[in-house]
Formats: sequence, structure tokens, C-alpha cells
Amino acid sequence: MKKTTRRVPIKDFGSATDVLSPLEPGDIELIHGEDKPPKFREMKPETKEKYDFSLDGISALNLPIPKTKEEEEAIVNGFLRGIEKLFQKENNWTFLMPTTLSNEYCMQCNTCNEACPIYTESGRMDIYKPNYRPEVLRRIIKRYFSKSGKLLRKWAGADLDLNWRVVYRLAELVYRCSLCRRCASVCPIGVDNALISRELRKVFSQEMGIAPENVHKSGTVQHMKTGSTTGMTSASFKDNIEFIEDMIEEKIGRRITIPVDKKDADILLLHNAGEYMAWPENPAAFAILFEAAGLSWTLSSEQMGYEGVNYGVWYDDVQFARIAFAQIQAAKNLGVKKIVIGECGHATKGFITIADRVLVGDAAIPREACLPLLEQIVLSGKIKFDPMKNNFPVTLHDPCNMVRLMGIISPQRNILKHIMPEGQFREMPDAGTNNYCCGGGSGFAIMNSQNFPDWRNNVACRMKARQVLEAFKDVLDPSIPKYYCAPCSNCKGAARDSMMEHFGFRKKYNIIYGGLVELMVNAMVDIPKPFISWEEEF
Amino acid sequence: MSSVGWFIGGPLMYFAAAFFVFMTAATFIKYAKLPRHLRWDLYPVPHQGPEGSKYQKVDFAGIKPHFSLFHELKEMSQEMLFIKKAYIHNPKVWLGSFPLHAGIYLGALWLVLLTVSALCELGGIAVSGGASSLVVRFLHFGVIITGAGGFAAGLFGSLVLLVLRIADEDMRLFSDPVSFVNLALMIFLFGSSLSAWIFADSSFSLIRHHVAGLLSFSMPTVGSGLIVLQLTSYCAFLLYLPFSRMMHFVGKYFFYHHILWDDEMMKRNSAMENDIATYLHYKMTWSAPHIRKDGTWVDQVADSASKEGEKK
Ligand code: SF4
Ligand code: SF4
Repeated sequence: MKKTTRRVPIKDFGSATDVLSPLEPGDIELIHGEDKPPKFREMKPETKEKYDFSLDGISALNLPIPKTKEEEEAIVNGFLRGIEKLFQKENNWTFLMPTTLSNEYCMQCNTCNEACPIYTESGRMDIYKPNYRPEVLRRIIKRYFSKSGKLLRKWAGADLDLNWRVVYRLAELVYRCSLCRRCASVCPIGVDNALISRELRKVFSQEMGIAPENVHKSGTVQHMKTGSTTGMTSASFKDNIEFIEDMIEEKIGRRITIPVDKKDADILLLHNAGEYMAWPENPAAFAILFEAAGLSWTLSSEQMGYEGVNYGVWYDDVQFARIAFAQIQAAKNLGVKKIVIGECGHATKGFITIADRVLVGDAAIPREACLPLLEQIVLSGKIKFDPMKNNFPVTLHDPCNMVRLMGIISPQRNILKHIMPEGQFREMPDAGTNNYCCGGGSGFAIMNSQNFPDWRNNVACRMKARQVLEAFKDVLDPSIPKYYCAPCSNCKGAARDSMMEHFGFRKKYNIIYGGLVELMVNAMVDIPKPFISWEEEF
Repeated sequence: MSSVGWFIGGPLMYFAAAFFVFMTAATFIKYAKLPRHLRWDLYPVPHQGPEGSKYQKVDFAGIKPHFSLFHELKEMSQEMLFIKKAYIHNPKVWLGSFPLHAGIYLGALWLVLLTVSALCELGGIAVSGGASSLVVRFLHFGVIITGAGGFAAGLFGSLVLLVLRIADEDMRLFSDPVSFVNLALMIFLFGSSLSAWIFADSSFSLIRHHVAGLLSFSMPTVGSGLIVLQLTSYCAFLLYLPFSRMMHFVGKYFFYHHILWDDEMMKRNSAMENDIATYLHYKMTWSAPHIRKDGTWVDQVADSASKEGEKK
């Protein structure tokens, strides 16, 4: 284990240094095939003068540096107001108990540290330790909201004075945690540092209007304005469906009519709309499977009926609730019996688990993940699969949201068992609930401000790249085509940007990535040509 | 000395014990009264047993939830008794944490056995190694083994943790003065108890006599300075604990049973649905531009898509 190189005591978190804890590429452990330290884009001096890079030299939020004392004070006051509201039931009944407990009972045993892929893959920087951010918060609370802290100051652990740098650095720091909750799963007490990151994101968004542009403005706001975070309107959604029908015809030799706005269908299928734009093979494969299995299903073209994502789950309870209710309304308008969410982890967890206790009364339409339904299709025998059609090495990614946070572990494995020849499927290390984040979780996959993508690719996605190489270590030879199966849209986004483009896995090792349904269709006896191809760009 | 000893071993001890019980109950009630929160489960959830999550099934909402008390108790006991997660993920800390917790559990058992033996004494049954009754003899040696073993384990564990907090750079980074105060108190508690046992009360007969006095409200005086010290450490511990994060034994119950393993689904016309319907009418005061001013949660959500659309 490498020793930590960047010591940053909490009391120094607001110090006037330009960059509190710069990333040191030389400290980052290389992965197989990487021959030089990772690169982080150097920002232009005029950009650095304008925006805050003072945490680690990275900017996820584009925060403009305050120019006057008044602006600085407004930042500090807004933050203190937000912290106060975080512990009020009227403002935060949704997570008051978990937040209060996690704030009060961390024993600082550091057990969570080694569980965090961001910390270990950064070269073990103190500021990325899972318990660092909550400790900053704790000391602020002690200093400004507790009698003992006001009186005894550093003797009561209240040794951090607030200034705008503390606030901005903390805002950036909560976007260096992917909310994967791997740290929470090893904490002997049950403390959840990921929750604290999320709650702080809420303070920044709900009180101060601070959130990554791709998550808020062109995320939830655009979603509610146009119907999708991609900006896809209802009309262009319908065009996309036509395009997908053409694609299916070309791939399988016959035309399928994809049901759209079919009243009273059993199932409303809700995809991450990114699939229609970036990976149309995925909704196409769903359509082929559902049609072949004879399901009563439909898509919706209503605004808020064709986009399954809910970015609110990462940063804002109000935006989350608005989107969840609007999606439910779209389902109600169609009179469907239930909603099935496609291959998208956060959408699945958000809509099924997190929304469970806000969807009261007749808003409680049943909502399910797609994986059990796909397993049921395979086991029903309605579709014939030839496992030999998938005669290539495959490894499976466990999206945190569906696996550690919902316990959906066996359906996807059961499916793979039926559609692949024995010996070709290999688990990656730490598979199941112990798995690592893809590196794109909690918005990272879509956040592209300044040099943040460099951080995502070099730090956040590194562990997943390491795991995939480990899973394929005996077949790395590029003459052997390999498939990294990630049944989640965001995870695929991270795979595309980091594993394929950044680390060059496709070129170096002939690894491609895709969802689970593509593999299923590829194994269908009735499909004449391979559905998955190593030649075509996915 | 004797009046100080009397005060600490008598009135202060009664007060400290009552205060501790009251504060523990108050802490428990404080958390229990917090509003219901949104689901935040973390898997595996032990009471789901080998079947695992209901989410793995089609139409799971209609399936009766699986509850395996055996699996839940198994996980709980491994965590509570052996500090399993620290053992697996942080063996260095476990080396201190496990003996410290073992010391606390043995110490608690010691207290129970000591109370029983004090009741025996009050009932005229002499508790000693030479007693004719096997049960009484068992009690006598039980008190010695749990006491001496617990104090030694607790002291060892606290010292290991203290050394780690001082010598290990990563541990030191987050250690505020309170962390050291907590450990100092544990060292005082176990150290004073162990010294009293070694140097003043090797069969725990003096402390048993004292407990018998407390139980019969006869306000005993304490003869030995070391036992006064021991009793002082108990008073300090009981009075300080409710204000410290060492109350995590209460927190842990809520962490596991009300958050991480809380997989209760919302049901129509349930108490949960009623409560949440009430919360949805709370007025929120968040003030970011996208939050509607002075709105309740219901107001925020109503007609959201079209209103957001108009606004932007
Ligand atoms: S969050 Fe848990 S594991 Fe991490 S330092 Fe705190 S108590 Fe230890
Ligand atoms: S949630 Fe994941 S990324 Fe965030 S601190 Fe915990 S382990 Fe690290």
C-alpha cells in the first residue's frame, strides 16, 4: 500500500493556498498497458483567474471566484442557512434521520477509506477519504451551531473557520464522490458518508443554486422543459422510434412495429433516453425480445413519458420529486398496469426505491427493474437461445444502484448462464454487492465542465478499468473479441469515455461494451445475423 | 477521604446511574421521533435470507416480504460481538476495537453477576470460592473472571487505540481532542478497575459489599482509595457517555434497523402513507431560484413539468 502523500488537516481546509491538494499524476498507480502517468489538462491562466480550481485543480462546478467581500459573505451565509435547513424536518424530512445519525456517530476509525475507489485510485489523497467531507461538515456544525464548539473551539473539535474557500472546496469535494456507498457497506457503525455527500449536494442546490450544469440546467431543468435531458422532444422521440424500427429490420430481416402510446398495456417501458441517441441497439433489443415473448407493452411519447432518468436522485430532492411525479402521471394517462425501467441503474433505484415513500395514494403505480422480467422471458422458454452464438469472453458489471443499493444480483447472472456457453462468462473481482462503481455514477458520466472529464477518466474510472482487465487477464490478446456487459446507461457512458476512448481498451485488447439485452438478442436462434459486432461502433 | 468516598460511591453513583438511564432513553426517543425518511437500504439485507431482495422478482409488490430472523440475528451477533466489519476491512483497528468492546461486554456481565451476588449477600448467602452451593461458587468465580478479564481486555483495547491515534498518521489526521478524551476515559475506567482488583479487592468482595449497600439504600462508605477511584471512573463514564459519540450503541440500532435494513414498502392506507401525506404539506423554505417560494412539498411538485417549462 502506498503512503498518503497529500496531508491536509481539516483545519487547513480553508487556507488561502491556490490549490489545496493538487493531483499528483506520479502518485496514481498505473493500470496494465499504461506506460506513463495520467495527464490532467492544464487550464489557461484566464480561466483559473475566473473560476475556482482551489480544491484539487479540477472544476466540476464552474464556480466563479467571488470578487468582493459582499460576495464572499453571501457565499458563507447562504451555506450556513442551508446547513441549518438540512436539520429541519420541514425542509428535509426526507433524509433527516440518516443525516442526523451519520453526522453524529462517526468514530473516525478509517475503516471506510480503503473501500473507496476514488481515494485509493487517486494515490490516496486525504481529501478524497470518505470520512473527510463529513468531518469538514461536522467541524463547521460544531463551530457555528453547537454551544460547546462556540465556547471551547478547537478543544471541542471546532477548529475550522468558514470562508468562501471552505464552501467552494466542499461544493467541489462532494462532486468527487460517486455516491456508490461502498464505504457505507464496510462501516462497522453504519455511518453513510455517501449520504452526507448527497445531502451537501442538496444544500448547494436547494439553497445556493449550485449544481453541475449538466446535472441541473441541461439535466433536470431541460428534462422538465423538453421531456428529456437529451433535449429530445416528443416529435423527435417518434422519429427515433422509426429509425429504430428501420434498424431492427436491417438487423433481423423483418420489421417490428414498436408500440407507442398503446392504452391499457400491461407494461410501460421506460428507457434512459440517452439510449435512443447513443445506443439505439439497446431499445431495439428490448423491442425484439418483448415482441418475441408476446408481452403487452408500450412506450410513451408524452412529455415526461419517454425519459426514464431522474438526475434529482443525485443532488436535489425537489427536482427528484417533480420528475418522479410527472413520470407517474404519464404512466397514469396511458392506464398501464406497471412501469418497467430499462437498463439504467439510477433510474431504477430512484423510481423504485427512493420514490417508494413519496408516491402516495393512486400515484403508487407498481414499478420494476427490467432484469427480473428479462430473466422470466429466458426461463419461460418462449424464445429459443443458442448459447454458442455468444461464444466469446464476457464479464459483467454490477451497477451500484441496482446491485448494492437494491440487491438485484441473480437475474442477470441467471440470464447469462442460459445464453452463453460454459466457461466464457467470468466474474470480475469483487463482483456482486461488493462491486466498484463504473466511475460515471452520481452524474460523473454526463458532467463535462472544464477539466472534470480528465479527473473522471483518470481517477473515478480507473478501478473499473483495472477490474475489467483482471477479469479478462487470460484472454487479453486482441485476436480474441471480448464483451464488457454493463446493464446501465450511465455505466456504458463511462465505459465509452474512459475504457474505450481514454484507456483504449478496444484498440489494445478488442474489448467492446454494451448492455445485457444485446447479448440476449445475439443468442436468439431466430435472428439470422449476429446482433453484436466488433466491427461496428457501439 | 471517607466523606468524598461516601459521596462518590453513594449519592453521585445513584445520580449518575439514573442520569445515564434517563439520557439513553431520551436519546432513543429523540431518534425514534424523527420523521420517517425515504428508503436508503443497503444490500445484502440479512433478514431477506438467502432468497435475497424482492426486487429480483417480477411483480414483487404482491409478494409477501421474506423475513428470516435467524439470518438477521446471525449478522447482528457477528457484528456486535466480534466487530466483524472491522475485522475484515480494518484489522489494525480491530486489534484495539475488539478487545475494547469485549471489555465492555464482559464488564456489563460482571456488573450483572456482581449485582446477583450482592443480592445473595443481602439474602444471607455468603458468596465465596468455598461456598457449598455449586451455583454460588460459579457466581463467585464468574464475577472474578468477567471482571478481571473484562478490565484487562478493555484496558488493552483502549491502549491499542490510543497508540494508533497517536502513531498512525492516517488516524491522527481526524483525531480531535474529543477522541483522546474518550480514550482517556476508557483507560481510566478499565485501568482503575483493574488496579482496584489487583491491589485492593482480588475477590471483588469489597465492591460486592458496596453494591449490596447501594441496593439496600444504606449509603455505604468506601474504605479503599483505589475503589473510590474505580467508582469515580464509573460516575464519570455514566455522566459523560450521553454527550459523546460513544452512544453509538443507540445510533447503531437506528442505522441498521431503520435505515440500512429498512426495506418496508409503502402500502396503501397505512400509517406510513398517512404520515408521509402529512409531511408533504410541510412548508419548505429552501431558497434557490428553482424552488417555489413558500410552497409545501405538494406545491413544489404540482404541475412541475409544464411550470418548469414556462419558467425557463
Ligand atoms: S464512516 Fe464508519 S468506517 Fe468510516 S471512519 Fe466513520 S465510523 Fe469508521
Ligand atoms: S460513496 Fe463511493 S466514492 Fe463516495 S466516498 Fe463512499 S466509496 Fe468513495
